[in-house]
Amino acid sequence: MRIRTLLLAGLLAVGMVMAMPTGAHASGGGPKEVFECVEKAIENNTEGKSVDYEAFENALEDCKKAKSLVTPALPEIIWGGIAFLIVLAVLMKFAFPALKKGLKAREDKIREDLESASRAREEAEAESAQYRAQIGDARSEANVIVEEARADAERIRREVVARAEAEAADTRERAQEDIRLAQERAVSDLRAQVADLSIGLAEKVVERNLDRDTQIALIESYINSVGNETR
Amino acid sequence: MTAAESKVDAYARAILAIARAEDRVAPVEDDLFRFARALEGSESLRVALTDPQLPLERRLAVVDELTAGKALPLSAALLGMLIGAGRVNDLGETVDRFVALAAASREREVAEVRSAIELDEEQIARLAEALGRATGKAVEVKVIVDPSVLGGLVARIGDTVIDGSVRHRLDQMKAQL
Repeated sequence: MRIRTLLLAGLLAVGMVMAMPTGAHASGGGPKEVFECVEKAIENNTEGKSVDYEAFENALEDCKKAKSLVTPALPEIIWGGIAFLIVLAVLMKFAFPALKKGLKAREDKIREDLESASRAREEAEAESAQYRAQIGDARSEANVIVEEARADAERIRREVVARAEAEAADTRERAQEDIRLAQERAVSDLRAQVADLSIGLAEKVVERNLDRDTQIALIESYINSVGNETR
Repeated sequence: MTAAESKVDAYARAILAIARAEDRVAPVEDDLFRFARALEGSESLRVALTDPQLPLERRLAVVDELTAGKALPLSAALLGMLIGAGRVNDLGETVDRFVALAAASREREVAEVRSAIELDEEQIARLAEALGRATGKAVEVKVIVDPSVLGGLVARIGDTVIDGSVRHRLDQMKAQL
């Protein structure tokens, strides 16, 4: 910071020094006086008579010695230095603190921006890590879901197979039961038919042999047997 | 007692009252009992007596024709009353109720006996005595000649059935087979 301030002051001093000759020229009229001196020398040596080159050269040399185009006069240097110091003091009193303050504010702002960027980067990294963790969780969860789905599918497949086998066994048992019942029914029907035929035959035999005497004997037998069943 | 049973009972009591008034309870019982059994055994007779297309006079003429010389005029008139009242389908039940009421009035129960042949009076008397001993009740025997019993007898006294018929024995044999 200090180096930066010193560098700024140096640059300002150089600028002032560079400005000084211009100031001297403007206020003191150095080059202008040289030019006037040269013009005067030309007029004096060329007016109405032949040109005295030697005198002209001497006059020009005098003009050169009288006023320098580069080196200012001592009073100008003194006043310029005083002005420089005044300007420097004013600058150090008023401008530099404001400049310093502005620089400080800019530095703070840059620092804050940097810190903010750092924080943003950290937050971004944190979020990225969180996203990565979430993606990892999601993948784990997806794997779990896939495994559960696979297990469910396998369980359902087993249940379907078991149910189909049970239904097939049930159908087989029912078919066997139907066959058994049909057999029993057929045997029963056959027995009933045999019984009907036998009884029909027996009826015919009985009817043929039931003459009146037999009928009376049966009636007497009934009366005697009922009469013996005393209540 | 349902409404139908009440009507049957009312007609039976009316017949009993008329028969008593004429002092012909026993013969009327026999006549109506035989007619009722004949009606049960003949689908064509039942159809003829219940045919709404046949005029009542024609149906009563059928009854007169069937009972002429075999039943009392009073019995024929009572049958005509039942047929005219449209009670043909309940006629058997009404007659059974009338017979039961008549027997009860004599403090007796009716034994409905089915036989393949007719029974003489002496057999009926011995049968009534035997059934009375078996049931412990005074019994009146009403004989129905039913060839389907083949031989022997079937007696029904109220809810009690004593079956000694050849048909019953054949049915038992059939069941065993």
